[in-house]
This record gives sequence, structure tokens and C-alpha cells, in this order.
Amino acid sequence: MTDTELATRCRAMTKAGKQCKNTTVDGTDFCHIHIPASIRPDNGKAINDETTKEKLSDRELRERLIVELDDLIARIQAIDPEYSPPAFSPKNMVNLMGDQTSSLSPLFRLRILERLRSSINEDLLDIETWKGMWYMVNYTLEYQSDILKRRLKGEYETDEWGLDWEFVEAVRPFLDFMYKFYWRVEVTGIEHIPDYGRTLLVCNHSGQLPWDGAMIMAAVLNEHPAQRLVRNLYANWFPTLPFISAILVKMGQALASVDNGTRLLEQDELVGVFPEGYKGVSKLFRDRYKLARFGRGGFVRMALNTQAPMVPVSVVGAEETYISVAKSPTLARLTGFPYFPISLRFPWFGPLGIVPFPTKWYIDFGKPIPMGDYEPDASENLVLVSRLTDQVRNVVQQMINDRLNQRRSVFY
Amino acid sequence: MADKKVVLITGVADYWGACLASRLSAEPDFHVLGLDVAQPPDKIDGLDFVLADIRNPVLVELLESENVDTVCHLKFIEKAERNEAAFDHNVMGTMKLLGACAEAGVRKIIIRSSTAVYGAFPDNSAFLTEDMPLRGSRQYGYNHDLLEIEAFVNGFIGQSPQTLVTVLRFANIIGWSADTPMTRFLRLPSPPVLLGFDPMLQLIHEDDVVGALAHVVLNDSPGVFNVGAEGPMPLSRLLRLARKGPTRIFHPLAYRSLKFPRVNKVEPRRLVPIEWDYLRYPWVADLTRMRDELGYSPAYLAEEVVREFTSQRHLKEDAGGHYAFACGEQYLRDVIERRQRAKSRESSS
Repeated sequence: MTDTELATRCRAMTKAGKQCKNTTVDGTDFCHIHIPASIRPDNGKAINDETTKEKLSDRELRERLIVELDDLIARIQAIDPEYSPPAFSPKNMVNLMGDQTSSLSPLFRLRILERLRSSINEDLLDIETWKGMWYMVNYTLEYQSDILKRRLKGEYETDEWGLDWEFVEAVRPFLDFMYKFYWRVEVTGIEHIPDYGRTLLVCNHSGQLPWDGAMIMAAVLNEHPAQRLVRNLYANWFPTLPFISAILVKMGQALASVDNGTRLLEQDELVGVFPEGYKGVSKLFRDRYKLARFGRGGFVRMALNTQAPMVPVSVVGAEETYISVAKSPTLARLTGFPYFPISLRFPWFGPLGIVPFPTKWYIDFGKPIPMGDYEPDASENLVLVSRLTDQVRNVVQQMINDRLNQRRSVFY
Repeated sequence: MADKKVVLITGVADYWGACLASRLSAEPDFHVLGLDVAQPPDKIDGLDFVLADIRNPVLVELLESENVDTVCHLKFIEKAERNEAAFDHNVMGTMKLLGACAEAGVRKIIIRSSTAVYGAFPDNSAFLTEDMPLRGSRQYGYNHDLLEIEAFVNGFIGQSPQTLVTVLRFANIIGWSADTPMTRFLRLPSPPVLLGFDPMLQLIHEDDVVGALAHVVLNDSPGVFNVGAEGPMPLSRLLRLARKGPTRIFHPLAYRSLKFPRVNKVEPRRLVPIEWDYLRYPWVADLTRMRDELGYSPAYLAEEVVREFTSQRHLKEDAGGHYAFACGEQYLRDVIERRQRAKSRESSS
């Protein structure tokens, strides 16, 4: 090692206590990490960088973070080729931590627990802990009341469709409860949904009430690293209902029409469609796993118009939430409902009949079907549209059948 | 005088006509001819006023002798009740005026309409484009007349293709000086809404209405255009920004209430300036053509429209009070932002 090479190494120690191996910044003895602020040569430039950084959008920041993480993963894999990176979603992180602690030796785990327990005990006796907690509670309350005050003055934002993120955050605990504890949803294939860009989810529909749409939304929010919001398209009966119509709009859902779907996809949103429509939701119990006709192919035209890939989605478990044995057209006409199910509990037990059974759900996202290869005016080709419609329908039906073969029981 | 273009504005005694006339009288290339059945209440500089009704059969001769280039038809009686006199004036008047224009060889006709002609329906797309069918409700007088006028104008465009016809469909117009269904609704002590319904509404400021009309007088852009401010907002947010507590009515009762007999000669629909369906279902118009083909961008954002209205109201009702002060602050901030937007738009173009 010659003298000139030595001079290019940073003089500082790393946090681990070793000599830093980075090369120095020109004209100083330190690398770009350890250089003291006082002798940083590009002081002015650094400040400029920070102001521009603030202007960066969330999306750009997120992209940068992904690049950095990829870099880190590549470095770890260079050391340990068998390492596979975990998926960075909240639920997966918790699972990962659980797995890691179970792999520790029992003695070691006990020590960690004891340490935690004793520290909690000591802290409870300390007045500062209580002060801190009081401060936290106060802060939270103040924060919440600020939001409320602001909203009462109308100072909040919605997008042009009426999506209100604060409302979505307020509803999420309920959705998460149904998702995690009530139906214990298991999800596979979440990686088929891209982080950015237009995508059309094509889902089967079942279970009398459209809970499946809500659960697909919760699944993507909980499992997907980008936490995208699914913009489901709903049937035109819902806008006539009080409260439900307002809630759907605030959750960013839109009426099912080719115009709406195309516009949402053009805005690079993640759109969910249920091509079976009422025929799907109102299925009788004996037909529960049989897909109904897939509409008139409107969803294929949306995808062809915008060249958005279609991701087939199968939801299994929603079929058994209500057991509908018959449909009453007379009652449907009298009440104005699009269909009126006669189930084991509805309408005999009134509102109790609306409580769904806590079945075990599986949501599978299939391989995307790319649409980029078709001509721009392919959506007017009726043969192609109906062929694609049948193709997607078969894929979803196949996914349902596969899942049914693997399932042990309806409830676990 | 000879090289000036002559613009005939009907209804100059009313708010819109008077505003447009005073806006255009500042333009050096235009000679503004005003037509109405009454003198404008305030004197407008440079306005050449003619006292006449649009249904007058001699109107053709006036148009020919004055060599009128553009007719801006703004005379419209906006009444909630169905009324034969108003219908005769609005619909028959428009037919006669357009007929006279075609005969006199007027180059350009501008007509003011509303996005309410699309109608509010549960199966409406979230953004209604100009080529969608007009399914508006005919229960309220002004809406009924507008639909008739639109149907007639549609036929007229086919019959006389040499005339440039521009129809501007405005969203809910809000402004302190204007009198529109939406301002009447917001001036109620507690505006009635339907329980559990919160449709998206599109707004436009009164100054932007006049601005858009002036824009089409100055630039030729035949066709039908939706005009509205950027950023539609839910009805609940509109009422919160307007500082109004709504009266929530269960919808089956609300629809029935319109069928009640008159009490004290007050028709129930007078108390509900906006029809229930329009407070229940979406009827937001698509503004792509306004941006791209018309090339007009309103100065006010939707929330600024409401804030401006609210602060005007507070200044009038509660001068110097706490609210006036609080709203005034945000109001001034909006003004600054708006001026900056206008400057950046100018510099970019």
C-alpha cells in the first residue's frame, strides 16, 4: 500500500470502532459521511440541496428509498447469497419480527422478556413516565380536535372524485378488524400489483353484500408495500342509498361505467371491477362457486382503451358469509332492491340477518394479463373483447377451483 | 365606428348583461349595443342602449341596419315555478331572436346555459361530457326552459351551419352580486339537504362567468362547452366553507314535501331553490374541452369561490366582527394566490 493510497482513506472511526474505509472528499481528510460540517467544502450547495429536497414529491422520495434499499439488499446478497429480502408491508414486518424472536434460544428470549418487564415496572413507578403519558394523551387529543375543528370549517381536501383520505383513515380500523380478526384473510400474489401505474383488478363477486370489495381494499392497504387504494367501481343502485352513497364516494370508489373506469385508469389508479355485478352478489348458495356471466365486457374495453394490465383476483370465503336459499322478485320490486335474498337468517331475524358468518377468507391475486400489445382501437373489436372477457373469466374460475381444492374447512 | 365590431347584448338591464357590457366597453375594437325592456339601473359608459323586446319582429331590421357581428343572448328569466309568461319570454324569445339573427346574417351567437341540463341521476358518470344526452329535470321552470332552448339551439346549429354558435354550460354560479339558484340556496338561514346524501358539486364564480362570456366574444370558438372552476367539492364541504348549518331531511319526506299545497301563496319549491335530485345525485361536468379547445381557465378555484362568498356575507352582515376578520385573512391569502396564478399564466403564454 503506497502513501498516496493511504491518504485517500478517511481518518475517522466508524460507529463499530473500525477504521473507515471510504475515500476522502477532495481537499480534506474525511469521507462524505464523517466530514465535520465546519470544513465541508460545499456548504452552500448542501443547503441548496436541502431546499430542493423539500420540494421533492413523496413519490420521488419513495423511489429514492427503494433505490437505496435495493442497493442495501444487493450488498447483503453479495455476502450471503441465500438472503431474500422481506416484503416491506406492516403485516409482513410484524410477522418477520415474530419469526426472528422464535429462532432465538429460549434462554435468550427469556432474558429479553425479563428486561422488558422489569423496565416497564420501574418506569411505572417513575413520575416522569406518567407525565410523559399525560403529555402524549393530551397531544393526541389536541391533534384529533384540531383535525375535527379544521374539518368543521371545511378546510380539507378531496380529489375530483370525492376521495377523502382522512375519512379513509378513520374507517380503516373497522376494515382492518374485519380483515385481520373476523375473516382472517389470507392473501397470495400481492406482488402482481405494481407499485405505480394503471392496473385493473378483475374480481369475482359473491356473498349478497359487497364485503369482498372492502376486503380487497383492506388487503392491498395492509399487504402491498405501496399501500395503494383500490378504486372499486360500484353498481348504480348504491348512489340511491342514503349514507352508503356518501361513504362510497368519500372512500374513493366510483360508479361502474366505461367512462369512469377509463378516466381512473388514465390517472394511473388501481381500479377494481366486479364484472359479475348483481348476478354475482345475489348468487344462491348452491351456485356459490360458479361464476356468473362477466357483464358485457365493459371492463375489457376500459383496459384496452388505456392499455392497463388486468390482474385476475379470486376471493374465496365470501360465498359462505350468508346462505341465500331463494330470491324473491316480488319483495325486490316492493322494496326497490335490485334483488331480495331469502337466507337462513334474513329477513326473519331483521338486522341480525345482516351480520355475516366469520368464515375464513382467501384472496388470490393472479398473474397480470398485459394489454399493451393490442391496437389502440382494439376496444371496438367485439370478437376480441368477448374473447378476452371469457379468458379472464376462465382464469378467475380456475383460481377459485384451485383454492377450493386446497381449503380444509370453511371456518379455518 | 365602421371598423369596430358590433356586439349586441340582450338583457343589459339584468346583472349578466350589465357586467358583460361594461367589460366589453373597455375593449377598443368593439361597439356594444344593449337591448332590453328597461333602462339599465346604473349607467354603463360606452353602451349604446336600445329599448326593445327580443320578440319584436322588427329586430331583423335593427340587426341589419346596425351590421351586428355578434349576438350575446343573456336575457333569461330565472324562476323556480313553471310559468307561461316566462316560457314565452325565454323559449319563444330565443327562437325569434335566433331566427332574426339567421335572417340578418349575424356571424356569431353566444348562449348561456347551465350544466343542470344534463340532469342528476344515479347512473351519471362522474364527469359528464358535452356530447352526453340532456336528461335534466323539467320540474323547475328555469331548467325546463333551458332544456327547451338547448333542444332548439341544437336544431338551429344543424339548419344554419354558417352561423358560429357557442353554448356555454355553466356550473353552479356563486357570487355575492348574482342571483342564481345556488346563491339563493346559500342565502337561506339553514339550507335544506337530504339526509345521508353528499353529492359532488361544481362551482363557478360570477366574475368567471362574465370572463368566459367575454372570452368567447373576443375569440371564435363554436360548439358547446362546460365551464366550471377547478376542483369539485362535496356539498357538505361547501356548506361548511359557507358557514351554514344545513337542515337534513329524510329523502322520501323531502320529495313528498314539494307536492304540498301552497301555504300563504308561497309555493314550496320557492323554499328549495335547488331541486332535490340535484342535491342527491352527481352532475359534475367534464372540463377537458374548456381547458383544451376553449382555452379558458377560470381565475377562481372552487374553494376560493365559496370563501369569497362567505367573507362578503360576513362583511355585510357583521362588519368588523370576529368572523369578518377571520375570513378576511384567508380571503386576502386567496387573492394573493389568484393574482400570482394569473401572472404566471400570463408569463407562460
